[in-house]
Parts: sequence; structure tokens; C-alpha cells
Amino acid sequence: MRVARARMEQFGGIVELERPRALLHVDREMMRELGYKGSPLWEQPAGPLSAPTEVHVVLSRRCAAGCRGCYVDATPQGAALSCAEACRILDELAAMGVFHIALGGGEALELDYLFAVAEHARAVGITPNLTTSGLGLDEGAARRCRVFGQINVSVDGVGKAYQAARGFDGYRHAERALRLLRAVKREVGVNCVVSRSNFDQIGEVARLVRRLDLNELELLRFKPVGRGARLDEELTPEQGKRLWPMARRLVWRHRIRVKLDCSFAPMVFWHRPSARAAAFFGVQGCVAGDVLAAVQPEGHFTGCSFISRPEADARNLREAWPNACADIRGYTRSAPEPCASCEYLHLCRGGCRAVSQAHGRFMDPDPGCPRVQEYRKLRPLPVVAT
Amino acid sequence: MKLFRRGRVLQATFGCNPNSSSLGVDVTFLLFGSVCASMIAIFLGALLRGETK
Repeated sequence: MRVARARMEQFGGIVELERPRALLHVDREMMRELGYKGSPLWEQPAGPLSAPTEVHVVLSRRCAAGCRGCYVDATPQGAALSCAEACRILDELAAMGVFHIALGGGEALELDYLFAVAEHARAVGITPNLTTSGLGLDEGAARRCRVFGQINVSVDGVGKAYQAARGFDGYRHAERALRLLRAVKREVGVNCVVSRSNFDQIGEVARLVRRLDLNELELLRFKPVGRGARLDEELTPEQGKRLWPMARRLVWRHRIRVKLDCSFAPMVFWHRPSARAAAFFGVQGCVAGDVLAAVQPEGHFTGCSFISRPEADARNLREAWPNACADIRGYTRSAPEPCASCEYLHLCRGGCRAVSQAHGRFMDPDPGCPRVQEYRKLRPLPVVAT
Repeated sequence: MKLFRRGRVLQATFGCNPNSSSLGVDVTFLLFGSVCASMIAIFLGALLRGETK
């Protein structure tokens, strides 16, 4: 085991391990045991993290694939950060103590400076990770992908199901990219957007992960943003309830590592898992403006890459961070029912703000939460006088 | 005698999240509940202390 680096926080600190690759939140006593004398942060009241631990850098809205549900509405001529802009932002993130970045878009592999950005991230001490469709990846590019930590290829279905989900026949390319990447590195996995249409076919994707000996399957919730806003693909209430049992089944049946994105938190907590275990393993709802932030191709930063509201210029992230995303951070203090009386509120944080925003009210409880759905079913809608 | 409280690991997230849209959280360990969390916390704490010796 090797400690790569550490950062002080109000509760103690965050320690990054290289092997096993992990981020550990530790208390003040442990930081002292590790040789850190103390920090001015230890005198402050509890609050959000002093900086995000990971930042999603949406390098561009540029992609030739034209997926029908693309959440960034990427086109072949979409906006992009230049290499110099991206590197300058990485310098800012490194100064803040950010541990990881996730590079995406758009199709980041279409940018000829992607590897220069990734190498710059390594040079300033940040681990770069990548999501790609795999389109156009050849053996040479796969070898250069060793610079990344984790790389996931987007696969929303196997064979024909891929085309049905994404709107073009790219499955062969995606599988080839997975094989090429797996041949050069261990940390390769699959991102799969779970929608109403492909919900019952996720098992096929899990089988692919097992067959290609990949290290993870990350299930992402379909969100009605970007081009996805035109589709009717959000999970049904019944599917929302089945999501967590399905994830458990995939782990047991296929012996693979399954990750869920933060927006699935309400669907997990509805099944009342151990709150202590969830807190320990970082299973939580909206962590925008706390654990994570996003940098948009137009140069501003947002709470996460699904939230369109700009907070400030990304080059001034350090200055803007203490007061950013105040409403999201404060959700647990002012949550409406049924969140207010939910025992998982401090973990779930009201679910996904981006989904609530897409349904019209940013600070409403997540409408995909089974508890919220049951609550609304029991309460009659208010009568509005006309 | 001065009582010495040993440091604790409060949270552990494994691997890196490559997804540039959402935070990916490993739910595999969640299946094993709080006993698993406590054991991993003790194990990681011991590893960290070993690192400083």
C-alpha cells in the first residue's frame, strides 16, 4: 500500500491510496498518527469539503456519433475547451487539492490534445479518468490510454440493443475498443445508461463485463436533459423499485463489481440498506458542490455536469468554491416532505437535482424516488382557483 | 494515565470514477452491511498506521 497524497479537511483529512486505489476520509487522530500536526480547518464548524475530490471536465460538446439521448447535446461542431484552457483549469484544481478528474464530453477521443491534457493532469498530481464511446479507437491510441486511471466505454446494450438505445449501430466498435483497452490495462469497465427500454437487458451487459474480464460495470440513471429531454425513457416507478435488487443480483450472479451513479440514491435507500455501511462506502445522493463539481466546455463550472446553472468562471473555482451551490448544499436543512421525515435524508440529500430541475423545480424532491411517488399518490393535488 | 484514542477511517471509496456526468459509487460492499464496513475500516486503519512506521 502507498499513500499518494493527503488533504486536510474539517473532520480530519482525505488520504489517497495508490494500491488499493482508494480515497479514505480519516479523523483528526488518524491524521496526527500519519504525521500531520493540524490545520486551521480543524477549528472551523462542519461544512462542505474544502474542495471537490473529483471534477468532471466536459472537454467538449463535440461528437460525431449523435446518440439520441446525449445529455450534453453534442454535435460535430460543438463547443470545446482549448488545450491551454483545460491545462490552466487543471492547475487550479491541483492547487485546490482535487484528486481525480473524469474527462468526457462529447467524445474526448476526437480531440487531438486529449492525451496532452491527461499527461498534464498527471504532471500536477491529479489522476485523469476517461469515458469514451470507443469509436475510432485504434491500437496506438489504446496504448496511449495507459496514462488514464479508469477508462469506461459506454455500452447501453449488447448487439441490437445498443442500436436501440443509442440510435446508431456502434456495438462492434465499442466491444473492439474494450478488447484493445483491456489488452493494455486492467482498469477498464463499462458505463451503461439504464433507461425504461433497456432495463430488462442490463444482464447482457453484465455478461459482457464478465466475459471480457473488465473491472466494473457502472450503471447510470437516464436523465431527461440535453437531447434526452425529448425522450420518454425515465424509469417507471416499478423499475425504480427493482433497480437495487437488480444491481445486487448482477453482483452475485456475474461476480462483477457494480457501481451506481449518485442519482440512483433514492432507489437504493428506499430498500433501507444499512445507513452506516452506506455512509462508510460513500453511497449518497446529490453531492454537487461538495464531493464533485463540473467544468463545462464554455469555461464555467457547475455543481455537476447535468446542472446547467453556471456558478463562476472555472479559472476562479478556488475563490468561488466556499460560497458555491449554497442551495444544493443546504437541501438537508430545508428539505420539504417527504424528504424532511426520511431517515436517509442526510445520505440521499433529496436525490438528483438535475432530474428535479428537468421536471420543473430544482429544489423539489427527486420525482423518481419511490418514497416521493408514494407520498404524492396519497396526497391530493392542490385545487387551484381560476 | 492518559487515554489515547486511535485514529479512525470514516469513509472509503474504492477505485476512480471515470464517468464525467455522475459520481459512481461502488455498491458491492454495501451488500455486506455495517459489519463489513467496520472490518474494512479497522483493516485500512491498520494498513495506514503500518505505512507510517
